[in-house]
Amino acid sequence: MTLEYLKNKRILLVDDEPGLRGMVASILKEEGFSHIHTAGSVQEALSAASTFDPELAILDVMLPDGDGFSLMEQLKRNEDYPVLFLTARGEDEDKFRGFGLGADDYMVKPFLPKELVFRVTAILRRTYKDENPLVSLKHCRIDFERAEVLKSRRIEHGKQNETDESDSPDRQKSLEECISLTAKEHAILLALYRNAGRIVTIDALCEAAWGDNPYGYENSLMAHIRRIREKIEENPSKPVSLITIKGLGYKLIVT
Amino acid sequence: MRSIPKLIRRFLAILLLSVILLFLLNIIVLFSISMRQTPGASAWTTAAETGAALTKTADGNDYILAEDTASELIREEVWGILIDNDTHQVVWHTDNLPPEIPRHYSLADIASLTRGYVMNYPAFTGQHTDGLIVLGYPQDRYWKHMYPNWDYYFIANLPKIILNVLIVNAALIFMIYLIASTNLMRSVRPIAEGIQALPTKEPVYVREKGVLSELAAAINQTSEILKSQNYQLRKRESARANWIAGVSHDIRTPLSMVLGYAAQLTDNPQLDEDARQKTRVIIRQSERIRNLINDLNLASKLEYDMQPIRRTRENAVAIARQIVVDFMNMDIDGKYPIEWKTKPQLTACYVNADKDLLKRAVSNLIQNCINHNPDGCTIYISVQENPENSQSAAKEQQSEQPGVTTCTIQRPDCTGTSPCCIIRVEDDGAGISEEELQRLNNTPHYMMCDSSTLEQRHGLGLLLVRQIAASHDGRISLHPSIYGGFGADILLPV
Repeated sequence: MTLEYLKNKRILLVDDEPGLRGMVASILKEEGFSHIHTAGSVQEALSAASTFDPELAILDVMLPDGDGFSLMEQLKRNEDYPVLFLTARGEDEDKFRGFGLGADDYMVKPFLPKELVFRVTAILRRTYKDENPLVSLKHCRIDFERAEVLKSRRIEHGKQNETDESDSPDRQKSLEECISLTAKEHAILLALYRNAGRIVTIDALCEAAWGDNPYGYENSLMAHIRRIREKIEENPSKPVSLITIKGLGYKLIVT
Repeated sequence: MRSIPKLIRRFLAILLLSVILLFLLNIIVLFSISMRQTPGASAWTTAAETGAALTKTADGNDYILAEDTASELIREEVWGILIDNDTHQVVWHTDNLPPEIPRHYSLADIASLTRGYVMNYPAFTGQHTDGLIVLGYPQDRYWKHMYPNWDYYFIANLPKIILNVLIVNAALIFMIYLIASTNLMRSVRPIAEGIQALPTKEPVYVREKGVLSELAAAINQTSEILKSQNYQLRKRESARANWIAGVSHDIRTPLSMVLGYAAQLTDNPQLDEDARQKTRVIIRQSERIRNLINDLNLASKLEYDMQPIRRTRENAVAIARQIVVDFMNMDIDGKYPIEWKTKPQLTACYVNADKDLLKRAVSNLIQNCINHNPDGCTIYISVQENPENSQSAAKEQQSEQPGVTTCTIQRPDCTGTSPCCIIRVEDDGAGISEEELQRLNNTPHYMMCDSSTLEQRHGLGLLLVRQIAASHDGRISLHPSIYGGFGADILLPV
């Protein structure tokens, strides 16, 4: 799995409620995250951070000896890593404050485990994308760093070639076709990849490619999607990785 | 403040009118009194009549007075004499002639008595063929004054003079009144201003000085009372909203654990299908509680005007699309497929809206479909622009108010045919009967109801949608769906 490297990330979980701490830890562990450290207060969190060296922090806002916002500032003072707020405070002002201070995401309790895992993965993927630039799709791999699609040329070659591939990995590489992505295609694919497995609306994709107020680009988006499919799909008219959800958006399936 | 000068003008008009009326009335009364007094009552007339009634006797030596004139003179206690033209001697007199009256008169005496008195008796003269009739009235009867004479120029200009006097008088009255009313206005003005400021809920202070200081004090007191009542009300409202916010905050953490563990159990392969089904029920119900908390919080804030509404130009299609996709991404077991029914050519429908609130309204409608169809249903969502669909909108209105003809007046609140954006959420589920629809539209919600009756409506989802629509100058419309279930529209002005 491509996401395996993310599962080794060190996650610091701060919440004053032991029951909730335990549950969040169990959700993440079940999903394969192995390095989780929990803390119940600002003090515990600060001392844990100095020894544990987290790569993602999940913080509650209301803590017995302080608030999560100032804790985030203290944590980020030493080293910059992503922060996800997981809090019972659902007010808009709190949300704005959290994002304003540089939080990467803000989740209001109660939440579904799926949602938490998705957001944690999304943040990690976004933050540590350079560590594993290759994303595997069904028929190709995408290198977002270089904006390239690596596609094997199995179709054009005979049986002889296929056996050769399995014999030597070096030769397999040489048989891979390298197709470069345009800037717009890259932006659209990246937006889809960040929400891999989920539908991304047409509007969100247009915004990713053309910036704010992206209305009137729907047809251009369709053209770009068609070109992306030519690059990543085996049969562009029968897509398996980049799925259309009619009228709404698109979904990228990552293997 | 325009009312006070108006008041003063009106008072002035009444005053002038009453002065003129009074003047005319006085003249009429005076005239009628003098008219009544003049005939017969004047001593001069009596003297003239006496002169006419005195005749010479048949032998030519004596005079005789007619009976009725004689009796009148006696009744009036008047004495009379006749002074002969040639001799200036009294040739006739009444029987009651006081003894001190002289019997001989010089010309100077006659001139003097004509103007005034004979021995303190007011005297009046009349003509007779043989001489001068003189009547003497009792001493306390008349006051005689015969000196004045009138300048001819004065008489000739009398109308002009009277007019001038009247004008000067009127001007004087006007000035006096103006000064008096300006003073009054100066003291009334702050009080009037204070009273007018009271309904604006602004704090009012009127200086307690002058004749109307008591009124000013009362206004100040009223303002204080209003201020404190307002403050109390505000305090109570915010306390209630804060209380709701606090409770919902406290419920969130335990509910997270219920939801989280139940969701984990759903995926636990060690549980049999029956147990996993039950955990799904727990998840659904927990989610309902979560939605309730969110709705309760927002509804109370909207109700007490504590929710800031940040309206910007938003594309309703994009917002609806995002919500649909969120639901599709979250739908665990695929029981609630959503179909996007917006026409492909409608890519944008701009409304002036708070994005988060509008999202909330749309997702509440979808959630409403889910809540009322526990066995699953297909949900249909579309965004439309109204002018294109004005006929069906008119039909809807007619069905809402049977027997009332729809008028097509342009109104900004999406009730007429003014351009508006419709976000329609429908399902093919259990649906709703006509009576239920009526009740939903007419029964007050428990959050708005001040008496505790059983007739209150429950469920916050639709209330919140209604509130959000109202805060955007729009409305909602509930109707049976063409897909067989329940349908709800949010109508927003574009």
